[in-house]
Amino acid sequence: MKIAISGKGGSGKTTISATLTRILARRGIPVLAIDGDPNPNLSLALGLSDSANTAAMPRSVVERREDESGKTSMVLTDSIENIIERYGLKAADGVTVLTGCRVEHSGAG
Amino acid sequence: MRSVIGEIVGGTNEVTVLDMEASIEHLSRGTIRHVDVLLVVLEPYYRSMETAGRTVPLARDLGIGRIFGIANKLRTPQDEEAVRSYCANHDLELIAAIPFDESVVEADRTARAVIDYDANSAIVGELSKVADFLMPGKAKQGGM
Repeated sequence: MKIAISGKGGSGKTTISATLTRILARRGIPVLAIDGDPNPNLSLALGLSDSANTAAMPRSVVERREDESGKTSMVLTDSIENIIERYGLKAADGVTVLTGCRVEHSGAG
Repeated sequence: MRSVIGEIVGGTNEVTVLDMEASIEHLSRGTIRHVDVLLVVLEPYYRSMETAGRTVPLARDLGIGRIFGIANKLRTPQDEEAVRSYCANHDLELIAAIPFDESVVEADRTARAVIDYDANSAIVGELSKVADFLMPGKAKQGGM
């Protein structure tokens, strides 16, 4: 199950994301929480207070590749397991949290 | 663009909760194509509801099958009615109505998670129902 939470800034979506994550985790479900913003607000809302440990994933987790037709796309430079292992932080109740990085958008699609 | 977050959401087998960027312009296929459920948070204010109202058709166009509303920071029955009415008019099923909860403010003040500050708070209660709804096989046994 992949759940996304959206809403206007200040609507409380980060608090809702964090609280729903912790509730599911307390039911024995291992949950990966992902902060779509480069700012580590989600990890704070999950109860991680050490801001030194809430660094965003570096941009180097992706690189731009070009295919034969000249179309470029962003691809991960490592396996998902390794990225989560390396940049994921452990929060209470067995939650893992990843903080997103800003990658410039390359047009539509 | 195949977004980093989209790739991670799609590649992991774990249950994933994605706190999306505030701007709906970031609601791209790359980010949400692997998402099963989109929860749209609505405060009982016009601009908040309008943002949600613009998000829903966009998300439907991107192919997300299950989209639900969550009302937040409700202070009065009129607040709740405003959100319910907006959702009814925009074909959005509301699955939770969270009252304005002082424990959210207090938890933030003391840099704690709300669930650690008060596991019996209204927001935890309402979101437990959301968890029951989304993952009924994992309904609470005793605790949360």
